[in-house]
Amino acid sequence: MSSAGRLHNVADIQRYARDIRLEVVRMIALQGQGYVAQGLGAADLFAAIYFAEMRLDPADPSWQGRDRFFLSTAHNSAAFHATLAVRGLIERSALETYCKDGSTLEINVSERLGPLVESTSGSLGQGMSVAVGTAVYAKRRGLSHRCYVMLGDGEMQEGQVWEAAMSAANYKLDNLCVVVDLNHMQVEGHTDNAMKMAPVADKWRAFGWSVLEIDGHSIPEILGAFEAARSVKDKPAVIIARTVPGKGVSAIEGQLSHFMRMSPELAESALRELA
Amino acid sequence: MNSVENIDRDFATSAVTAPVVQGPIYGEALVELGQQNPDVFCLSGDLTPATEANLFRDQIPERFLNFGIAEANMIGAAGGIARSGGIPVVHSFSVFLTRRAYDQVAMQVAYPRTNVKLAGFLPGLTTLLGVSHQAIDDVALMRALPNMTIIEPADADELRASLFAAAKMNGPVYLRLRRADLQPIQTQKPRQFEIGKGQLVRDGNDAVIFASGMMVSLAVQAAELLQEKGISAAVANIHTIKPLDVEFVTSLVRDRRLVIAAENHSIIGGLGSAVCEAVAEAGLGAVVERVGIRDVFAEGGTTAYLFQKYGLSAEAIVDACLRAEMRAGKGKQA
Repeated sequence: MSSAGRLHNVADIQRYARDIRLEVVRMIALQGQGYVAQGLGAADLFAAIYFAEMRLDPADPSWQGRDRFFLSTAHNSAAFHATLAVRGLIERSALETYCKDGSTLEINVSERLGPLVESTSGSLGQGMSVAVGTAVYAKRRGLSHRCYVMLGDGEMQEGQVWEAAMSAANYKLDNLCVVVDLNHMQVEGHTDNAMKMAPVADKWRAFGWSVLEIDGHSIPEILGAFEAARSVKDKPAVIIARTVPGKGVSAIEGQLSHFMRMSPELAESALRELA
Repeated sequence: MNSVENIDRDFATSAVTAPVVQGPIYGEALVELGQQNPDVFCLSGDLTPATEANLFRDQIPERFLNFGIAEANMIGAAGGIARSGGIPVVHSFSVFLTRRAYDQVAMQVAYPRTNVKLAGFLPGLTTLLGVSHQAIDDVALMRALPNMTIIEPADADELRASLFAAAKMNGPVYLRLRRADLQPIQTQKPRQFEIGKGQLVRDGNDAVIFASGMMVSLAVQAAELLQEKGISAAVANIHTIKPLDVEFVTSLVRDRRLVIAAENHSIIGGLGSAVCEAVAEAGLGAVVERVGIRDVFAEGGTTAYLFQKYGLSAEAIVDACLRAEMRAGKGKQA
């Protein structure tokens, strides 16, 4: 795939999303537990971002013209690492080292992995700020690359997110696109149990953003939203993507479990179902 | 001038020593740096005139960014600018860059070693604005972060030199700055500023006083008072608090009986602690006395008042030296 090439074939992207889910299950199964529900939930978004939307060069991950992706929800690491492997940016075999002592594939994604990780964001609320800096730099320098952020919905409880949102609108960062993974899940269960955040879209609108609300499992909707975001001028864009934790594995689909046990039996049935 | 700036100007300059150097020394140096180096960006959080960053804002607006009253985001954005190839110099009061945005500095500056320069103002007890604005723990906080370099210049020449040196080195630097009404330091030999290298300001055989920032000129005054009491004290300017020039520190301690560390900061975690660590780890067994804020919060007040009340004075350094001598004498008898 060329550096600037974008996939538009929905079936292809769906197949990659399925591959990502398979790897997520395999990785978590090796651990016996982990961030599996949110990994399965965000797989379609990851596939669309890495196979369709972002300009990158697998042969040269540090390419200056690359689009930047910031995983602010750094714990969604199984899905992220799986995506890199499926996209050919890291070796598939590296996934077996995930969470193992000495591995660069940490449970909170670390830039120890290399230039594919644009910031270390395990401390929630920080990824967007780094993206704002990167985007404002690109604007001031006349560079054309775009910046993408994967933001958790629970993460929106961090005040820094709104500092960043305010500054992105202030600097008219139309090269910045935030994807909110709206899965209604955080450590203590449903987000409403910890902090009611509705109305989410209105909050972003009030901060001066262009807002798109989509089904985060519909590849056509995701691609359409990214395309629309690219055409927005003079303001940043946020795609609020409704997702279902555990998507694709019926035994756990919809379960709000932040850090889930995965027995060998569950893993086996999940792999069967996804294949 | 806004009111905050007036407060800082008026009360900071009515300090322990008469203002000797006037004018925006830092601001002018920053503009010069920006004109020399097209990668330098100037970031500010609504404290642009108070940090003299307004000169850069007015002369190089295309590389100036105001992030408003939101330091956490500003530090993260600085990380992003640095990752893109820029050299962001981030301006605020020291408390807000260090205490308020500590996690952001740790994760987006120190850990990834991004080329971010933190320019913090109002060190220690140099502001009327009270405990919220008095950085008494900033050095301790920054010292605890891996990869962080900490520089506290002692006078106007060093203020300028430290900014240029910080921009030249690749990696995170915390500059602990005071607007330039610092007493110029007179040395026996011409001074050269090099990050990580201590400077002997004045030699002496009995005692050595390690000091940084404003405390250097007070240490020189103290050495003169000690001379009258028959104690010959060396004064060392430790402008780079981290990494500490351990060789320089231990070599001075080795030949002298009494060791004093003086800082406009809490006695916990700053220069005094760093000197104690170096001395103890070298197995020198010297008596050390720390002059600094003694594990208390202060209050709003003029710098002169606060320095006197909280023991940041030439007299306090002299007293510490006499205490050290008493302790050293007892040690010998025992």
